Amino acid sequence: MREECKKDFERLSEYLDGELDDDACREIERHFRHCPECRVCVDTMKKTIQLCQAVATEEIPSDARERLRSMLRECIDRTSR
Amino acid sequence: MNEIATEPIDHRLISEFKAGSMEAMEKIVERYEDRIFTFGLKMCGHLQDAEDIAQETFLNAFKYLKDFREETKLKNWLFKIATTACIRKRRKKKCEPDREISLESFVPQNGDDVTYEIPDWSEDPSDNMLRAELKDVIDNAIQSLSHKYRLVFNLRDMEGFSTQEAADILGISTQSVKTRLHRARLFLREKISTAYKEGVVQ
Repeated sequence: MREECKKDFERLSEYLDGELDDDACREIERHFRHCPECRVCVDTMKKTIQLCQAVATEEIPSDARERLRSMLRECIDRTSR
Repeated sequence: MNEIATEPIDHRLISEFKAGSMEAMEKIVERYEDRIFTFGLKMCGHLQDAEDIAQETFLNAFKYLKDFREETKLKNWLFKIATTACIRKRRKKKCEPDREISLESFVPQNGDDVTYEIPDWSEDPSDNMLRAELKDVIDNAIQSLSHKYRLVFNLRDMEGFSTQEAADILGISTQSVKTRLHRARLFLREKISTAYKEGVVQ
């Protein structure tokens, strides 16, 4: 295992999220120039996140929506009486 | 006095609810039910569990809304309650303890010829079959993440909370959020890429 890989590898998500300061970013980008594996890691990690976001269910089913509302109406009615 | 952190529309709805408006309650539910339900679904993987979590979240929210001081956004406060509901649900089911994910196994090795291929998501509805297969692979990969990593991944990458917000919701340090998120992403990348290579997704 390359030691510098290990150090930079740990910070790849922070790099991807723009959470590193300029110096640390420059250091990682220098590392990328001779380490295609870490570069690929950032790219594939980004693609993984986008893919997970693309397939996510976005809505509550209508029957669950109805049950939620009637349960809340009933409980809140009861406590406010 | 602390500043009100809730969005103006939520601030108005909360005030109306405190004054006894059921309509305001319904509007709050309408604004957040999809997100809370889908968060529960991503955490538990079952429709019924997700429904239970949504019910518990809103029930507790309206029970305690009168004490909510609006020092945080309503959305964040609701997710904090939803997170507690997810943790409670997991406890009730007596799930296995969380497995740690080690970073070591993901660090590229010298002479490594492992390749990671992540499939593209097709927006074309005629690819329905492929999309369904891919959705299965991804849902399974997310479900196979240990709970504490799944929580962080869902809050940060799926729900879009910042590192600080996720840390506040979970009551952990920002460093722990970062560490868990990185491991979760690497784990998912590996799972999805392996399924793709093995031909689970064509």
